[in-house]
Amino acid sequence: MREKELEKIKEYKYGFSTDIETIKAPKGLNEEVIKFISKIKKEPKWLLDWRLKAYERLKILKEPNWQKPKYPKINYQDLYYYSAPKSFKEKPKNLDELDPKLLETYKKLGIPLQEQKRLNNIAVDAVFDSVSVATTFKEKLTEKGIIFCSISEAIQKHPDLVKKYLGSVIPITDHYFATLNSAVFTDGSFVYVPKNVRCPMELSTYFRINASDTGQFERTLIIADKGSYVSYLEGCTAPMRDENQLHAANVELVALDDAEIKYSTVQNWYPGDKDGKGGIYNFVTKRGLCKGKNSKISWTQVETGSAITWKYPSCILMGDNSIGEFYSIAITNNHQKADTGTKMTHLGKNTKSKIISKGISAGFADNTYRGLVDIGRNAINSRNYTQCDSLLIGNKCGAHTVPYIRNKNSLANVEHEATTSKISDEQLFYCNQRGLNQEEAVSLIVNGFCKEVLQQLPMEFAVEAQKLVGISLEGSVG
Amino acid sequence: MLNIQNLSAKVDKKSILNGLSLNIKPGEVHAIMGPNGSGKSTLANILSGKKGYDISGKINYENNDLFNLAIEERAHKGLFLAFQYPLEIPGVNTSNFLKTSLNAIRKSKGQKRT
Repeated sequence: MREKELEKIKEYKYGFSTDIETIKAPKGLNEEVIKFISKIKKEPKWLLDWRLKAYERLKILKEPNWQKPKYPKINYQDLYYYSAPKSFKEKPKNLDELDPKLLETYKKLGIPLQEQKRLNNIAVDAVFDSVSVATTFKEKLTEKGIIFCSISEAIQKHPDLVKKYLGSVIPITDHYFATLNSAVFTDGSFVYVPKNVRCPMELSTYFRINASDTGQFERTLIIADKGSYVSYLEGCTAPMRDENQLHAANVELVALDDAEIKYSTVQNWYPGDKDGKGGIYNFVTKRGLCKGKNSKISWTQVETGSAITWKYPSCILMGDNSIGEFYSIAITNNHQKADTGTKMTHLGKNTKSKIISKGISAGFADNTYRGLVDIGRNAINSRNYTQCDSLLIGNKCGAHTVPYIRNKNSLANVEHEATTSKISDEQLFYCNQRGLNQEEAVSLIVNGFCKEVLQQLPMEFAVEAQKLVGISLEGSVG
Repeated sequence: MLNIQNLSAKVDKKSILNGLSLNIKPGEVHAIMGPNGSGKSTLANILSGKKGYDISGKINYENNDLFNLAIEERAHKGLFLAFQYPLEIPGVNTSNFLKTSLNAIRKSKGQKRT
């Protein structure tokens, strides 16, 4: 039975790599490399100075080591910090000029970029290693005044906005990986939604790591001006490789008065093989600033990939009456490790936050929820509700919950609930007796367990995520 | 259709069924009655494939050796156990559960999903 099931484990579907000629920065991390990146991206001087300042800071920073999953020391001098398809020396003006190999890659990933085959009502920005390949539906968005492009393009065309907001949520001095990202970030998305505009479609970025020995340093900046609304999706895949690869992203969100940002992630980086060899180190800093009153930022994440996931999408609730939400599913199987959660920093009056975290652990995996609810002195009448549920499959995996609560205001209301459960034999028997095989049963039970979070995802993603939940756990019950 | 021969079952060395034989033909309705602890549920559980019993004897169902079939394969062939205390699977509503079950059974018969 067990062998039969192991055989059935599907290979990681996105594990192929594209053979394409690339331009790379020289290996290693130093001032020259940073200047190289800045130059190739034709950046203004202020940005180069900004990068170099971050690099100076990096020199004195140490890697944090308080997290649960430990990893072997990364040799930062042995990495490429910039890798782009050669055909990108001059950025292709339209898709006809784009290397067919790239189009083919995205087609294989299920992200068609060609006009006639585009995903319905989702605008996509496709990032390949260190550059944005294409952005769809640009014209339609421009009509409404919405800016959706790669961050590199935004630096050229909308320098004022970038200068004003870049690093305003995650300062360059923040912590090791955030500072590293500030020094060497390459590409990512930029979104600006003007006043009182409701973005008519989902905006989405699809990140793909292709080159080996290359770190991906994504930088995304989303600004929702007063009274606006935007929903943004992020998806990720990478080829199967025996070495570990680093993805250190910084994502900053800024919501002004009455604005709302909904940010959803379906993270499916290569998780490594069943013995824990290879896979992506996903060390990500995501932070949203509810700057204006009545603003709202909602994070939803489905984390199924990566050898190590280490991220805490957070909200700083600065504006009065602002709302922060965090919905998370983290699935770890085989030897995957996840240490994820959120920080809700309540500064304004009547601020509210809600945390729903579902951790699922199977095989030899280790899953940690780590979170901080921080209620400031002036955050009167603020509220937080936290619910952390863990589900264990098998008896060799682990689940941990580390919630911190810091309350400096006696009028605040903080709730925390946590459960740990196992899939019981009774539940499996019940499902089997109704005709479901072992895998279908696990998938059904896990999807039920995650329902509150899956419901938060936009339709198009929810179906995909549900399937992914099933696939990630295949072979976990023997 | 269902033929049980000399079925014995033990749990933790405690004998529950002791040499039960029964032959059920298509179209027949049988009710099994008995006092508490006489093994009615054990029989139903063994028929549907629940684990945890030490079994000897033979059961033939529609020309299959029942013990060679997995729980879900028995379900596909029409063996249905009504649970005395059905479980709730958190987050899965009844209609979704029924649909998933129906589709699994349809799939086993090579029929299309509904």
